[in-house]
Amino acid sequence: MDIRLLHPSDIPLIQHANLENLPENYFLKYYLYHALSWPQLSFVAVDVSRPAKTPYDYPKIVGYVLAKMEEEPADGVQHGHITSLSVMRTHRRLGIAEKLMRQSQQAMVETFGARYVSLHVRVSNQAAIHLYRNTLKFETEKTEAKYYADGEDAFCMKLDLDFIKQQIKEAEGEEDEDGKKKSKKATNGSVESEDQDEGEPVGDVGRDPEADKKIKVKVGRGLGVGELVERDESKH
Amino acid sequence: MPQVLSTKEANLFRQVIRDYEEKRYRAGLKAAEQILKRNPKHGDTMSMKALIMNAQGKTEEAFNLAKEALKVDFKSHICWHVYGILYRTNKNFEEAIKAYKFALKLEPESQQIQRDLAILQVQTRDYEGYVQSRFAMLKARPQLRQNWTALAIAHHLEGNLQEAERILTTYEKSVSAVPAKTDFENSEALLYKNSIIAEQGETERALEHLEQECKKCLDRLAVMELRARYLAKLGRKEEAETAYRALIDRNPDHTDYYKRLVEVLDLTADDEAAQKAIFDEYSAKYPRSDAARRLPLDFLTGDEFRSAAKAYLTLMFNKGVPSTFANLKHLYSDSYKKETLPSLAEEYLQEVKNSNAEASSDSSKGEGAALFFLAQHYNYYMSRDLAKALEYVEKAIQLDPKSVDFQMTKARIYKHQGDIAKAAEAMDQARLLDTKDRYINTKAAKYQLRNNENEKALNTLGLFTRAETVGGPLADLIDMQAMWFLTEDGEAWQRRGNVALALKRYHTVFNIFDIWQEDQFDFHSFSLRKGQIRAYMDMIRWEDKLREHPFYFRAALDAVNLYLSMYDKPEGLNGANGNNANGDDAAEKKKAAKKAKKEAQKAEKEAAERAAKQNPNKAQKDKEEEVKKKDDDPNGVKLAETKDPLGDAMKFLEPLLQFSPKNIEGQIAGFEVYIRRKKYLLAAKCLKAAQVLDKDHPKVQELAATMQKTIGDVLESLPPKVQEVLKAEFA
Repeated sequence: MDIRLLHPSDIPLIQHANLENLPENYFLKYYLYHALSWPQLSFVAVDVSRPAKTPYDYPKIVGYVLAKMEEEPADGVQHGHITSLSVMRTHRRLGIAEKLMRQSQQAMVETFGARYVSLHVRVSNQAAIHLYRNTLKFETEKTEAKYYADGEDAFCMKLDLDFIKQQIKEAEGEEDEDGKKKSKKATNGSVESEDQDEGEPVGDVGRDPEADKKIKVKVGRGLGVGELVERDESKH
Repeated sequence: MPQVLSTKEANLFRQVIRDYEEKRYRAGLKAAEQILKRNPKHGDTMSMKALIMNAQGKTEEAFNLAKEALKVDFKSHICWHVYGILYRTNKNFEEAIKAYKFALKLEPESQQIQRDLAILQVQTRDYEGYVQSRFAMLKARPQLRQNWTALAIAHHLEGNLQEAERILTTYEKSVSAVPAKTDFENSEALLYKNSIIAEQGETERALEHLEQECKKCLDRLAVMELRARYLAKLGRKEEAETAYRALIDRNPDHTDYYKRLVEVLDLTADDEAAQKAIFDEYSAKYPRSDAARRLPLDFLTGDEFRSAAKAYLTLMFNKGVPSTFANLKHLYSDSYKKETLPSLAEEYLQEVKNSNAEASSDSSKGEGAALFFLAQHYNYYMSRDLAKALEYVEKAIQLDPKSVDFQMTKARIYKHQGDIAKAAEAMDQARLLDTKDRYINTKAAKYQLRNNENEKALNTLGLFTRAETVGGPLADLIDMQAMWFLTEDGEAWQRRGNVALALKRYHTVFNIFDIWQEDQFDFHSFSLRKGQIRAYMDMIRWEDKLREHPFYFRAALDAVNLYLSMYDKPEGLNGANGNNANGDDAAEKKKAAKKAKKEAQKAEKEAAERAAKQNPNKAQKDKEEEVKKKDDDPNGVKLAETKDPLGDAMKFLEPLLQFSPKNIEGQIAGFEVYIRRKKYLLAAKCLKAAQVLDKDHPKVQELAATMQKTIGDVLESLPPKVQEVLKAEFA
């Protein structure tokens, strides 16, 4: 098992893992949209122990976190959002979900200056809620009624990320002091050593038509006859 | 002469465009018709109308009208532009490019046309054209940074790294203001430039650039990783060590960092103790890191291996980590390790027994975990003993009859015993133990498909697909691009003799790859705006070899083999392996084929009924008319009626050979198709490639014999040049 950044070439097998595990599914393009908008934020856990079958094997994905920055935050505060997180039930109890989350949170702060990260989780998903609340210290902000397609409610959860900013500042301070970086235990210090069965997947409602529409407009002007009228589309 | 619109009508025309852009198609059409009433030969309006009709799915009418528009107003760039867009939405990129170029000739200043052209050029990998377009766009608007970056990308893609770098530098020099620390576009542009320097092989300069220019870049991980890599490459080992140690501190579960660290420390491969010390240091520092504990098992030998493996297994069993076997099975290529691991698991079981400790309340831990490990061990192909595997899994199940993992493994053992029906049943038992888990649901459905129970599998999957998708679980799985399902479902139909549905599934996989290829289209401009250039380049490189993916290979090979069998036995509906059937078998298969046909008819009827039930006048919302194109062959009946199965096979075969040339199965399939099509040189090429890959492959020897025989029969009839080549190789 290996934890690393997501690459575009991982996406077919991430989509596969998602389809295998979760009821909330997305088109390949939606994964691409994440990988090309915020390539620093999404991570995968890979099974590195599989013997290769052909010269064209792709690493098998046993867990992933698909994350983004909120493009137009309603509260005006820069923040990240977890679109989907999943660990194969065959690969639980290694803390993979927690490790993926910590890598993503770190990058949210470093690269995009995120102040907090939010997510949705099924109210019945005890294991996942335990991971967020107890291990990662998320707080439940509110309950969103009937968020999921099957009618289940979601908890909206939130984690303030200023502590990571503090850690970065401290590390930078140390660096300035002795000119050399001391090893910090910050990002991966074990918060809880008791192993949670954290593998229960969480995910946003799939194919949110609004989300899709939003991409289309933003990505596209696809057919772009905008210029046919004297409107200047090339100023963004 | 084109008709001229009054002011009022000109405004109306603008409205048409806005309606089109905002997808208010009906309103747009109405307005267009209003203009055309008084100006029936207004080419631009006709074009816009055609564009809207195209968006509504009326492709043919749209093309006709657009052609009419060009007839009345040959010199309108709008007409040409629209004509190009029609081609482009119907995926004829070549014609689209031509039309855009015409439009651009008429209106050289149009940014929009230029941009549309540029995007198509990069999509079709016409890098030379792309460089030209991006150069023109830069000249028109040099104040925009993304135009500089885009030109650099164009040069980069074309392979001209120096020019790419030069363009980026020129821009940098032209700005005097220091970019803000949070200027994301700047941060990424610097790292992009750094990657270009490195790609030129100038590691020293890349490092220098990184340390001087990219220190404050916002992608911290990238800066750290690049720096470590450059230092290692330059042999600056001490600094590289520090850099890799910092990376491990950041992510102690990335195996590559450890590997690099060991490399730069100059430890000789046989100095196991020194290597082990590194990993011990980190497993003490990061007790939750699996990599630090597990990786030493890769290089340790003898007693050292034994004691490290014992410690590792004990920890994993105590924790009840279900992936323990999966994480270690790669060690089985070493026979000592293959013997040692199960004996350690036995030892563990013995110790548990002797300790008389109270059994853990969680049976997935301790004894249960060790039994589970042993069951998987004896189920694995390198150490298989299925009777023993079953014995262990039964013991585990006794301990916890409700464990999904245990039950799942039992099903797998049955599968390996060859009892597919029993395996499917057992997997469904496992599913029932946790009906809220989609993973086990998927597995159960997969086993049902292996057992040729397509309908049952679809019902199983339907427990998790979106209820509101029109067309039910199948439509949802197709929408969501569920490759695994399409392939397994197709293979099951094929085994059942239903060629039509099998072909349908394989073609659906093929089409999804087309979609995936087209998915990059929007990102050619999007990524420039987002500024994430390195990620964009990664995507381009990946898309270039998209169809090497095993998802493509498997379905395409299935399709080719099915077409081959259709060619060989045109009357039969048998699957690919349907040769040499004895009497009973043949009768059986005939029966199956008949049944399959009946089922297909039933499915077709049901689909028709469903379609009929859908109210065509159902209230349509704003986005209404974005019609989902209706599938006029939902059950593959037309596909199966082909008169030219070998010709149809080519569509699947060509990407197989192009993108996975090192896969021997593809070369074999290629030979089989080409020899039947009498393309002897191409057949010879596939055979040669297969021989290079594995000359002892039994199938390859068979093909060589076929080749020789065939050549003997036909050689005289071939052109002399071909004769010569074939003789030299095979006669």
